[in-house]
Amino acid sequence: MAASRPLVSIYDAKGQPTGKQIALPVVFRAPIRTDIVSFVHDQMRRNKRQAHAVSNKAGEQTSAQSWGTGRAVARIPRVRGGGTHRSGQGAFGNMCRGGRMYAPTKIWRKWHRKINLNQRRYATVSAIAASGVPSLIMAKGHSIENVPEIPLVISKDVESLRKTKEAVAVLRKLGAWQDILKVYASKHTRAGKGKMRNRRTVMKRGPVIIYNADHGIKKAFRNIPGVTLLSIQRLNLLRLAPGGHVGRFCIWTEDAFRELDKLYGTWKTKSVRKTDYNLPMPLMTNSDLGRLLQATEIQNVLRAPIKRQQRRKVKKNPLKNMSLMVRLNPYSSIQKRRSLAQIVKGRSTTKRTNSKNKGSFATVTKRETTKTTTTTVKSSGKASTTSTTKTS
Amino acid sequence: MQHDDVIWSVLNGQFCSYKQQKTKTQLFCSNEYNLTGLCNRRSCPLANSQYATVREEKGICYLYLKVVERSHYPKKQWEKIKLHESYVKALKQVNEHLLYWPRFVRHKCKQRLTKLTQYIIRTRRLMLKQTGQRELVPIKKKYERREKKHEDKAFIAANIDRSIENELLERLKKGTYGDTYTFPVTAIKDSMREESSDEEEDDVDEEVDKNGDTESEDEEEIEYVEDFQESEASDIEDINEMEYEEEEKEVQRPAKKRQLEIEYEPGTTTKIKEKLRQRHAND
Repeated sequence: MAASRPLVSIYDAKGQPTGKQIALPVVFRAPIRTDIVSFVHDQMRRNKRQAHAVSNKAGEQTSAQSWGTGRAVARIPRVRGGGTHRSGQGAFGNMCRGGRMYAPTKIWRKWHRKINLNQRRYATVSAIAASGVPSLIMAKGHSIENVPEIPLVISKDVESLRKTKEAVAVLRKLGAWQDILKVYASKHTRAGKGKMRNRRTVMKRGPVIIYNADHGIKKAFRNIPGVTLLSIQRLNLLRLAPGGHVGRFCIWTEDAFRELDKLYGTWKTKSVRKTDYNLPMPLMTNSDLGRLLQATEIQNVLRAPIKRQQRRKVKKNPLKNMSLMVRLNPYSSIQKRRSLAQIVKGRSTTKRTNSKNKGSFATVTKRETTKTTTTTVKSSGKASTTSTTKTS
Repeated sequence: MQHDDVIWSVLNGQFCSYKQQKTKTQLFCSNEYNLTGLCNRRSCPLANSQYATVREEKGICYLYLKVVERSHYPKKQWEKIKLHESYVKALKQVNEHLLYWPRFVRHKCKQRLTKLTQYIIRTRRLMLKQTGQRELVPIKKKYERREKKHEDKAFIAANIDRSIENELLERLKKGTYGDTYTFPVTAIKDSMREESSDEEEDDVDEEVDKNGDTESEDEEEIEYVEDFQESEASDIEDINEMEYEEEEKEVQRPAKKRQLEIEYEPGTTTKIKEKLRQRHAND
């Protein structure tokens, strides 16, 4: 969308913009591929796991033997000997009490995952790009309503802070304290056994502060709940996209921000810190689909939209369907009329001859004939005849 | 960077903290700037860089405008315009400010303004009534249940009945009631004896603490009584001495449980209360 690179202001420890500005690193325009982030995050999370398994002797430390058939008991191996409750009890099976479990867990399970280097880098790049979009940060749940600018860059002297009190003051001035208050409010006891495994409290994640050189910043900020510290040399996807969801609130120091171009390169230049690496190319340079479809260049090439679709027409028989016949041959209506008239004429003449022969009944029949009119429709050709009698 | 479609695909597909699926049929958006309250491509305030809402604060409606140019400054993102108190004028204002804006946003803003003015009128009317002036507080089941249980336990632990008993007996002893109450004599005497035996026990304990010999002193006291001549002389003295003996014998025995009991109605005590009562009675 933006051809030129926008400028990002640097803020000092008091939350005021210093005059300085940095051109936005190109990383922030990299494609945001949440699918890659999700996948890589999932894989990366497995790498910190510690092996756990059931003891390989568990449930096997018996010399049980099946009693075989004919003893009116199930054929499961049973503990030998006597004198205790244990004797004669089932052993070894996963269904037995005190038996080995089904598929005992082994330590040689594949605990760690290898992830392709390029994929890993793609994921971090996407996560950084997402951290530059305020909507995504808000959607993730951070309170950034009072933050002056996204991405938030603060001046170098923050790196030499030593006191947590000063660190808190900085966060307050930057409008980031609201997010940390949210963290305070979210502190609660963990649900589950983690409570008794030294993981008692759980809380939200707050902002992540990315620095270049640690001259005390780490110790100053580390005790504030929710805050994570990251060195620009070691950006961690698990911190940039916690939970596999992009859009963590990032606070950059000036030097760290300047490093980004060198770390990941611009599309025009390769990365300096990484050998032979350049930012991933997006599939679409302009992904505003709505605007694209309205553009004249595209509209000109498209055919007109089909507003009303033509449906299958049922073929009607003109010989049966008079209106269709008339549409095809307008003269047919006249023809029909004439033939009808002739038929009527013919009928009436034949009737008169019959009455003459009968004599005395002549007058009666005459009256009858005048009263009754028979109409027979004889159409030209091989058509069938239909006779209708009307009595007036 | 700021591509609405990209943002929407992330929010819709992956995660949005404002998305609420409270019913099976409808998706709601809990973002306070949302026009319709639904989670839609058109209503999402995050996925539309050009957006407007009408919101109400303390009875005054404001029009909020958001433009692409301010999208990267969250502090200054929303332009707040105060709308006129008159509904008709406010509508005109909305039309004026959203003149070349998409029809959907303009229409929904006006709809929202209508609804808000109606709501404001209703609240004003309600405030004049008594129901409006009272504050409604929700009942929290969990807390209520918990508090009630605490209260019950505290009540039992306080042993109010016991303290009442003590108080009444004290008053009886002092004689504040005079002859108003008539109890069987033995009952009172038993209670008196228990009182005095407790007192004597206390004295004995004190002596034990000081000297360390219990039996020798008891024997010494018994030895005094062995003068038969004095006992034969007067009946009153006998009786007194008899009583004295009995008291001393009682001293050697361990503390008795209170025999004076007040009967309660059968319905008032629950199982828990009975158990707690027994536990506290043993103390």
